[in-house]
Amino acid sequence: MPEPSLIEVREVRKSYRGPGGAVVTAGDGVTFDVARGEVLGLLGHNGAGKTTTIKMTCGLVHPDSGSVRVAGHDTRTDRRGAVRHVSAVLEGNRNLYWRLSVLENLVYFAGNRGRSPADVWRRADALLERFGLAEKRHEVVAKLSRGMQQKLAIAVALLADTDVVVLDEPTLGLDVETSHEVRALLRGVADEGRTVVLSTHDMPVVEELCRRVVVVAGGRVVTDALVSDLLNLFRSRAFRVTLESPLPTADMARLGSRYQVAPTDDTTFDVELAEAGELYSLMDDLRDAGAEVSGIERTTPRFEEVFRRLVQEGGKPPQDQPAALRKEAVVAL
Amino acid sequence: MLSEGYHNAFRANLVKAVIELRRYLPNTISMVVTFYVIFLFLLFGVRFVAAPGGSEDAVRYLIVSNGFWFLLMMTVNSMGWELTTEALRGTLEQLYLGTVPAWLILLFRMVATLVINVVILALVTLLSMVTAGTWLQVDVASLAALLPPTLLAAIGLSYAVAGLTIVFKQVNAFLQLSQFVLMAIAYVPLAQVPLLELAPTAKGIDMVRQVTAEGVALSSFTTADWVSLWVSGAAYFALGLLAFKLLERRAMRLGLLGHY
Repeated sequence: MPEPSLIEVREVRKSYRGPGGAVVTAGDGVTFDVARGEVLGLLGHNGAGKTTTIKMTCGLVHPDSGSVRVAGHDTRTDRRGAVRHVSAVLEGNRNLYWRLSVLENLVYFAGNRGRSPADVWRRADALLERFGLAEKRHEVVAKLSRGMQQKLAIAVALLADTDVVVLDEPTLGLDVETSHEVRALLRGVADEGRTVVLSTHDMPVVEELCRRVVVVAGGRVVTDALVSDLLNLFRSRAFRVTLESPLPTADMARLGSRYQVAPTDDTTFDVELAEAGELYSLMDDLRDAGAEVSGIERTTPRFEEVFRRLVQEGGKPPQDQPAALRKEAVVAL
Repeated sequence: MLSEGYHNAFRANLVKAVIELRRYLPNTISMVVTFYVIFLFLLFGVRFVAAPGGSEDAVRYLIVSNGFWFLLMMTVNSMGWELTTEALRGTLEQLYLGTVPAWLILLFRMVATLVINVVILALVTLLSMVTAGTWLQVDVASLAALLPPTLLAAIGLSYAVAGLTIVFKQVNAFLQLSQFVLMAIAYVPLAQVPLLELAPTAKGIDMVRQVTAEGVALSSFTTADWVSLWVSGAAYFALGLLAFKLLERRAMRLGLLGHY
């Protein structure tokens, strides 16, 4: 018998009264599951409803209707039971007490989960070592760099030893190097077998860490699919074309008006087609322009591009894909 | 209860309060100085303006009332300030992600704050007595019997303020206004306004005043006095906590539990 999902979000509806009294829909029948040990990316533009969904998973916001269950506990009717299984980094480096030291923060937050200081001290060494914070254990948080603060916030969440770790924008505002370090740490968390729900606009993080993504737009799930399937889905429409000689600017502009073309150098360009069949008409157009094609290959699009297209197209998959794959990509429209 | 590790949560909050008191030392010192200066102005008013050459009873009355006003303000506003600060820092949601309920964490913090404030109050009262050259009858046993039910009502009010803070956020104006209401409760004697006995903490303050300023023995109070003291304390505590829980639930329904 398959193990039940660790997180079950069922037909969740949530709306707020916005500025001026307008009703803002943050959830309109949101439904998805997260299996134990899965790393799920919850994606969407600002205002799509992903933060509300995350807060409902943490029991911080109650749905108007529908239910969110964590390890079988309803976050509305059995909030404490659910919260026992969840830790979260919701405000990044702001999740900490800046006048307390690194170690004092760990002890305090663990204390609010009933942990003794001795228990924290026993585990803190290894945790701080792993997060590169061992040297800073007695430093007050206000004096740490933003990246270190962010790492500490994640360490605090991990110390809670919960089944589920929820991370809202864990790499927001970090420089490239620190973002890379945080990503490596999160990779370690995922490898531990923890269930991770990750909300981010940082698509390389999604591509590297998440097995599956749920894309939310306008309070609805528009896509619920494996990252690898989505990349394959869009891969069939993306090509790199190499020409024998550079194409005149006017001809390249003409191509650009018909296709999504991105030149990479004088003789090479990437093209994203609406459907794979368009490749023939592209070849015709190149021949008409007198261009000689020396090579053409499928390319794997960056997940960022896949996400952008998914949201643009309202979650609709390319029409030239097998029905089974399309079904997997689109759960709700 | 203890199996839930609540004692660890209590210790964590007590330690945090002490650490923050130390790290925000200038704030603490300015708070003590402010109350001492207020006392000096009031003493000046009693000695030289309102009742020149007035009795020592009036000065003792002033010292006790001023002390209680300080304690009431600190207690009643405490949870509201805590939540406002947590929300501004971005740590409020983390409080709600602990396995120990938020209302209990606030109570632990309140106890820690009370311990610290009572120490500060003792210091200010000592300074006040030295300045005024008038001495109160400080009977620790009597205070230990009278303070808990008195402060229970104040904690209830604090919960209600905390609930309002979560939902309405901007309660600073309300808190400033409440200072004057609390001043009335702390200063006006029940003998002059008997109906004030229904107000939270008023009965307890009046009894403490009788013991410390007038030298009344604890055994002189009637059963009715004690019943009134405890019933009032318990009722205001329960009502305040109920208001907090209802407003907290409303905040979760409206999605208001977060940063401001």
